[in-house]
Amino acid sequence: MQTGTMLSLLQDPMGVPFYPAVFQALMVLTFALHILFVNLSVGTTALAVFGRLKGGERWTALSRGMGKSAAACVSTAILLGVAPLLFVQVIYDPFWYASNTLSAAWVIAFVFVMMAGYGSTYVFTMRSEADRLGLAAGVFSLAMFLTAGFTMHALNFQMLQPEKWLGWYTQAGAAVTSGLVLHDFSLPRFLHFIVPAFAATGVYLMLYARYFEVRPDLDKEHLSWVGRLGGGLAFWTTGVQTLAGLGWLLSLPPEFRFYAHPVFMLAAVLGASLLFFLYEARRSPGGPQRLAWPAAGGLLATVLAMAAAREALRGLYVGRSGFTAMSHRVNLDLASTALFFVTFALGLVVLAWLLSVAYQAGRTAGRWEAGPRMRRWGWASVGLLAAWLAVVAGLGVVVTLKNAGS
Amino acid sequence: MYPVWEVPYLTAGGVLALIATFHMLPSHLATSAMWLSVYLEGKAYREERPELLEFVKKYSKFLLVFSYVFGSLSGVGIWFSATVAAPRGISGLIHNYVWGWATEWVFFLIEVAGIFLYTYSFDKVDRRTHLTVGWVFAAASWTTMVVIVGILTFMLTPGRWLATGGFFDGFFNQTYWPQLLLRTTAMFALAAAFAVLVAARLKDERARAEVVRAAGVTGLAGTLLGAACFAWYHASLPAALHDVLDALLTPALGRWMLYPALAVGLYFAVLAFKPLRVGTAAALGAIVVLFASVFALERARELIRKPYLMPGMMYSNQIIGADLPAKGVGSDAGRFARTGILAAAPFVPEGLRTLGDSNRAEAGRMLALLECSACHTLQERGLRPLPRLVRGLGMDDPAAMTGFLDALEGYPYMPPFVGNQAEKEALAAYLVALARNGR
Repeated sequence: MQTGTMLSLLQDPMGVPFYPAVFQALMVLTFALHILFVNLSVGTTALAVFGRLKGGERWTALSRGMGKSAAACVSTAILLGVAPLLFVQVIYDPFWYASNTLSAAWVIAFVFVMMAGYGSTYVFTMRSEADRLGLAAGVFSLAMFLTAGFTMHALNFQMLQPEKWLGWYTQAGAAVTSGLVLHDFSLPRFLHFIVPAFAATGVYLMLYARYFEVRPDLDKEHLSWVGRLGGGLAFWTTGVQTLAGLGWLLSLPPEFRFYAHPVFMLAAVLGASLLFFLYEARRSPGGPQRLAWPAAGGLLATVLAMAAAREALRGLYVGRSGFTAMSHRVNLDLASTALFFVTFALGLVVLAWLLSVAYQAGRTAGRWEAGPRMRRWGWASVGLLAAWLAVVAGLGVVVTLKNAGS
Repeated sequence: MYPVWEVPYLTAGGVLALIATFHMLPSHLATSAMWLSVYLEGKAYREERPELLEFVKKYSKFLLVFSYVFGSLSGVGIWFSATVAAPRGISGLIHNYVWGWATEWVFFLIEVAGIFLYTYSFDKVDRRTHLTVGWVFAAASWTTMVVIVGILTFMLTPGRWLATGGFFDGFFNQTYWPQLLLRTTAMFALAAAFAVLVAARLKDERARAEVVRAAGVTGLAGTLLGAACFAWYHASLPAALHDVLDALLTPALGRWMLYPALAVGLYFAVLAFKPLRVGTAAALGAIVVLFASVFALERARELIRKPYLMPGMMYSNQIIGADLPAKGVGSDAGRFARTGILAAAPFVPEGLRTLGDSNRAEAGRMLALLECSACHTLQERGLRPLPRLVRGLGMDDPAAMTGFLDALEGYPYMPPFVGNQAEKEALAAYLVALARNGR
């Protein structure tokens, strides 16, 4: 069977409820945020373990902070991973499902590997510095996160090679149904995903120092050290990432000429600018943390552009079999589309309140008191959620009555 | 049709069922625990009772770790296991309900930000703000249930969707409201059971008694109202599902649904009156018993969907059995009958696409993988094992077995054979050989 025919047979016959380009944009956006937190999860866990191994007052304090950060970052990474996982199934369904079913045991193992790794993060944070079990838990967490990352990388890499799928599924003329094999991976690609863990964590440390510097109860000297450490880590590992990126670029099929792709070029220019900026930030008189916010903005812009480049590259891979994500039939469903976008807008208002409370409370020594504006915003958040429920319940009653008896 | 994943003894569907059932515990705790928390937190502030606040802190930490480590990941696990067990099924759901899931995800964002803030800010923000965070979390987490129940019940009773293809026609289907209320009431029983587990380790006796009593009352109310909602839910099932339930519900499964629920109800009643009698072991035991009841209920829900994955449309083996004009979908059955499923299904080794004497046995296995392995293992032991079942039917002759496959057309809970005559005979021969050789 031709690969193109196979893909069109696999494609879900139900179509999609809105234009594929919108799902694609949402996928790229949410993937960029997801991978940023995946990077932070790996980086903060590694730094937490390193700090505990190194010992001493400074590193121990940093290790403690990184352990707590890791727990929050992993949770955020999972949370933000759900969205691209959903959207990839909408527009790349044949690719995602085939790759997953071919290595099904790994897909299931991924879930348990993540549970073990994430659970151990809490063991690490709850145990004292002297406790070897805590340290072992941290090392174990890091190993599990890297294993999970590698598995996800391999599944995504297998996706791109539909012409090989049937060969992987066949052995001695029969179907191989064990799902035990990861069929392909690309080390340069994996490295290109993992090295930024340390660059992102460097920028995170700069932010950490900048964020807490207003707290009178915290040690200024320690924060300044954290900021300088972050600046150095961010700069040097961004440099390494440039080399890793070059290695990855060389591993791509030459006929793609991806180095000349405009989206890639944009990402590369942003990456190079970030490197230059981080170099300058290290020489900033108040320490690199003075420039933590612009550095974070630059990092986010680079990651977004890289995510878009990744998507453009995927388009080239799947295009070899004549597939395009835009080929899905649109069965327009405006009602559910509106449900999502209205909920999303409303949800951002509520989420922003929670984040704003957390931001302000974290910068206050002792107990933070909400002002009248924040208080009203909080009540409005509860009100918005109640209003959403009331409207949807009302809609439900109307639909139920309309359909009753039919 | 995607590659088949065979899990010895269990089937891929069995893996999905295990993960999905486990997920019930942390996910229902996530939607319910905060209501009890904010009630007790408010009481602690009003009456200046720091010892009550101790419980709330412990409970929220437990919620954070249990529901947002194991719950979040087992939720993702359901998706992954559905992906590898029934990719076409989950794909069909996602292509219809992507915006439903995306909507649920928005509330999930609020939930996760909310639980971290709530757990770590007891002493960091003023009391009123902290309570508001709790209320935001409680509302958002329950709303995730309001959304997901629409998709879950759609898989059981798609209702008008089959005619219109409309999102809300499938979402607000005939079992939506009773299921929503059943899960809402049951979640309070679960929240109460976990609250007792956490409270059992409180040193202050007065606080422990108060929390456990509150949990007992909440749990008892949840169990009793849950029973009433179950009766409503049962009555709301369409007649065809009642028939399948009557055919497949074994007395043992019925007992598993009933007795643990009764035991848990009794447990909560004892708690309400004798709150200090219960220790950690009993609290854990109650959770296990509650879990058994939930497991049986979920299992029954899965059973009555048979022979479908998407009722009226896609069979359990992911073959689309009916046209769906509203979505422009055509049935696979007619196409596969014309061309043969081995020739038309994408993931079939090339050497098996055309039947011949040399590949008949292997082709028979491929057909069994495609059409039967979603519910039956091909091994001697395990979940509904084919060799044993075929032997049980007394089928030792391929012609008789072919006749049996023909008769599947009229079965209430098994999909019909889909493919051409030669394939049907090859499958029959394979099944008879399998039963004979036990492999």
